[in-house]
Amino acid sequence: MTTMTRRRLLRDLKKLQEDTPSGICAAPCDNNILVWHAVIFGPADTPFEDGTFKLVLEFTEEYPNRPPGVRFVSKMFHPNVYADGNICLDILQNRWSPTYDVSAILTSIQSLLDEPNPNSPANSQASELYVKNRREYEKKVKAIVEQSWVAFGDDKDDKDKKAK
Amino acid sequence: MEEQTETTMAPGERMDVDGGGYVPLQPEPEDDEPLTGAPFVIKKFSPVFFWSWDVHSDSCAICRVMLMEPCLNCQVNNKTSCVVVWGECNHAFHNCCMAAWIKSGSSSSGTAGTGSKCPLCQAEWIIQRVGN
Ligand SMILES: [Zn+2]
Ligand SMILES: [Zn+2]
Ligand SMILES: [Zn+2]
Repeated sequence: MTTMTRRRLLRDLKKLQEDTPSGICAAPCDNNILVWHAVIFGPADTPFEDGTFKLVLEFTEEYPNRPPGVRFVSKMFHPNVYADGNICLDILQNRWSPTYDVSAILTSIQSLLDEPNPNSPANSQASELYVKNRREYEKKVKAIVEQSWVAFGDDKDDKDKKAK
Repeated sequence: MEEQTETTMAPGERMDVDGGGYVPLQPEPEDDEPLTGAPFVIKKFSPVFFWSWDVHSDSCAICRVMLMEPCLNCQVNNKTSCVVVWGECNHAFHNCCMAAWIKSGSSSSGTAGTGSKCPLCQAEWIIQRVGN
């Protein structure tokens, strides 16, 4: 791995620690700085409020000249998130800029939650409900918010067990 | 961001420092005293001056290192010959960082046209100057 990418990621981490955007936490894996785990809290006053959504960011040695792969690990119900958790977001594809960092990526994803782009549907059911039946859409979102707590707790227990 | 630099110069030599503090380099001659009879002659002196970068941001938005320092890549490879490139949009980056971005091929995707874009403002990237 190039040291350049590693150093840039360490700078990203330092920036995150010094100036953490609200509702976001992220850290690289202990043994691989190219893989990061992150949690985005659902923004207040949105159907995603109180959700704790886990994501994985996978960087390549070409970072920051190429964007990382980012996907939700927690179940997500959103017009721009595919069933496998991958996210359809312009800055992670053709509008990527090497000036973005982990903090900027996660902040963009957080704001995407409540501002979906119906023009690039990744989940057709979510897109359709978002446009035609907001009530039902919000109901589905609430369901995955509740699931996110359960999944979060489970994982914590898992880790605790492993630690013992 | 300020850096202190010490330079040795001959007396009377003029120096232009962009954006830096001005240091009078010539000793003030005293009118009523003939120069030949001066009790001492300055042979050499070392002015200390301060300077600063005249750019919007003093760090490279790509590698996050100060523009006055070599880029992250050059630091890793122990190279010191790292220069700064300014675009027509007045954004500045390390030349290495910008070159790597253009070379990656991602810089021209997204919108129509084949030219590269400034990573900060998405304006067409036209080099204004390269230097230190
Ligand atoms: Zn740079
Ligand atoms: Zn360089
Ligand atoms: Zn620019």
